[in-house]
Amino acid sequence: MRPGQRLGTVMTPHTRAWRPALAALLALTLGAAACSGDAEDSAGDSKTLTMWTFKQSHVKALQKVAEGFQKETGITVKVEAYGPDDAYVTKVQAAAQTRNLPDLFEVHTTGEDFTFGAAGLLTDLAKDVDDAWLNSYLPQVRKDGSVTDEYYQKSLAQDAKTKGIQLGQRYSVPLTVGTFGIVYANKQRLADAGVTSAPTTWEQFIEVLAKVKAKHPDNGGVTVGLKAPTTGLEWFLQPMAYGLLGPEKFRALWGKDKASNFSSPTGVQVLETYGQVTPYWTPGTQSLDIDAADLSFVQGKSTFDIGGTFTLAFLAQNGFDAANVLTFPVPAPANGAVKDLSLAPFTLTGMSVSATTKNRAGAIQWLKYLAKADVSATFAKEALDVPPTDLGADPSAAVGPALGAMIKAFGSGPNAYNPGDTSYRPNAYDGPTVASVLMDYSPLQKRPAADAAAEMTKQIDAFWTKQ
Amino acid sequence: MAVETIAKGPSPTRRAPSPRRRRRYRRSDIAWGAAFVAPAVVLFAVMGAYTIGYGFSLSFATWNGFAPTWRWVGLQNYADLLWADPRYSPRVQGAARNTLWVMVAVPLLTVAVSFPLAVLLNSVRRLKGLLRSVYFLPQVTSGIAVYFAWMYVLQPDGAINLLLRSVGLGSLQQPQGFLGNPSTALPTLIVITVWSSVPIAMMLYLAGLQTIDPNLVEAARVDGAGSWHATRHIVWPLLRPITAIVVLLAVRDSLQGFQTFLVMTNGGPGNHTNVLGLETYKLAFLSQLDPTLGLSSALGWLLFLAALILAVVNLRAMRRLT
Repeated sequence: MRPGQRLGTVMTPHTRAWRPALAALLALTLGAAACSGDAEDSAGDSKTLTMWTFKQSHVKALQKVAEGFQKETGITVKVEAYGPDDAYVTKVQAAAQTRNLPDLFEVHTTGEDFTFGAAGLLTDLAKDVDDAWLNSYLPQVRKDGSVTDEYYQKSLAQDAKTKGIQLGQRYSVPLTVGTFGIVYANKQRLADAGVTSAPTTWEQFIEVLAKVKAKHPDNGGVTVGLKAPTTGLEWFLQPMAYGLLGPEKFRALWGKDKASNFSSPTGVQVLETYGQVTPYWTPGTQSLDIDAADLSFVQGKSTFDIGGTFTLAFLAQNGFDAANVLTFPVPAPANGAVKDLSLAPFTLTGMSVSATTKNRAGAIQWLKYLAKADVSATFAKEALDVPPTDLGADPSAAVGPALGAMIKAFGSGPNAYNPGDTSYRPNAYDGPTVASVLMDYSPLQKRPAADAAAEMTKQIDAFWTKQ
Repeated sequence: MAVETIAKGPSPTRRAPSPRRRRRYRRSDIAWGAAFVAPAVVLFAVMGAYTIGYGFSLSFATWNGFAPTWRWVGLQNYADLLWADPRYSPRVQGAARNTLWVMVAVPLLTVAVSFPLAVLLNSVRRLKGLLRSVYFLPQVTSGIAVYFAWMYVLQPDGAINLLLRSVGLGSLQQPQGFLGNPSTALPTLIVITVWSSVPIAMMLYLAGLQTIDPNLVEAARVDGAGSWHATRHIVWPLLRPITAIVVLLAVRDSLQGFQTFLVMTNGGPGNHTNVLGLETYKLAFLSQLDPTLGLSSALGWLLFLAALILAVVNLRAMRRLT
């Protein structure tokens, strides 16, 4: 037999010539197949669950409670953090394309959970979450994560990001609750200026700002991460406006009626009241993102920091003495419609189960375990975040004084501002667009209040036209 | 050995290879060639042609990256960006105005700084290598960390305000920081973009200067031309092709680059430093899961079109000048 001749085939010099090309193409095909085929699955097996989160401050706390879960069930939970939020979303997007999803996700409730659910990435938990499970949560947040009629109707709009969700489905259960509109103040600086208690009205708050600024002209100001412009609007103006106007007139600010929306005299009054803060902004606060603003407070460059319940964890992580913090909700004006304004908690983040998990039962077990009051309290204490469970009359005993005080300050009913309720805004509403206009008024002082208010209404009207 | 090799070579009397043999030889060559080219072709097909085609088709659809299907909208995305949708068109128009400022200022300032710098550097006799390295530093160190360093320097309590105060120019200080004041934020970002563009431009000019025949400058000097006149009337015209490249690169960077803007201001304060590249990125990745990937793709293609037109105009203009 000659070289090149095999049994059953005759290898001519002509065919031999193509061999290197064929070999190269075969190698490329195999390589491409290796790249495009199912990558190693991120999801665990029956004894291991993989969970992704976007909150670095939750990793250690979840790992700590996972130890107890492992002892109880033999199932290990591996927690991986990917941040910031937009990078997390991109990570999930890429993992969904390559079918490489984990068993569990932490999600922004009534946000990512519905979008991921609509895309078929999550499993419906409606049948798993029974009344006994739900009763472990605070009454205000029990519905959070399930598709109510309001969210279902919104999902029917053209190009809705939640298109496909069905009424009654549940895509997440609460993990942390909280609210926006909490003022963190440096207690020592306040004492230096002769302020020993938290202001209870907007006017008192402005007085306190003036006193502290007079005592500490270089670093007595107030900061919030205005590089994300919505912080000024949603964390600061909105709670005050709710207290000033009450629920109905507050909602009307985003409406189409020129007699009651931002362009009306009432709307201008809201902006002018907010504008009273303008002289007290920390210089350059408009260039700071949320973390940088919090750091400005930690480093003593600002005396006041506007945030949410979740801010405390970041301040503590960066070395701020929690005993030196005075916290209070953004107050309402004395002549406002709501006399005893409080803040209603809503679910900030929840837990979802991937549709591709190989251990759905184990994942459900883990979620149920996290909902136990003692486990939830341990997680909250470690993460310095507010749990969704009912911790009884004295939450401070379970989660410490700082978190306990915040939980006690939560309210409900018409006197409580609930930032989680966005039903009054158009579906296509884009916060940064409207909030950027507000920034032009304060702190930038590029527009007068009436002009900014009219422009805000113009932007909101544009969103209504897309309804 | 050499004799043996020669002896093995084709004899002049040897018959020419038959057509069949010649064809076989060519096919073998083709096979080898194809084997070497195939990886590049496949890579381009997957990474280039496929992604370009995918991105282009996406510009005619709405999608948020998660939904199982796209919704085809034809040219609506382009219309929405340019005039039809009051949510996007004002933002795009504002970003286009800012981009235009950057596109005009960055190439002009880059040339205005890098050309004299290159001429000076070319004329120094000592420490030329060291000085070249110093001026090239911004290019070597460019990156996210440098932009963060600039942010600290430009803050209200940053080094620039401190410097201005200490040299008695306190009136030029920016109490809100150079990035916090809408009037100074865009010019400041332009200066930083120029700062990072100058090294490459300067190196291109330096390379060009090395190619100029010294006799030309020498002859001008003999005729009584001073340094200014020799540079103005001999060196500058000879370096016009380099200027064309520098301008083209700067315009392209200004049109499509946005990392400086993303890291340092994210388009703020308000929307006063938003540029088209950044708006494309925001529509793709920072839109709270809204189905705006198609809009982002459409804006990307509009930018590509603008870049293409500008490149052609620029090259034609420079060709006429040279």
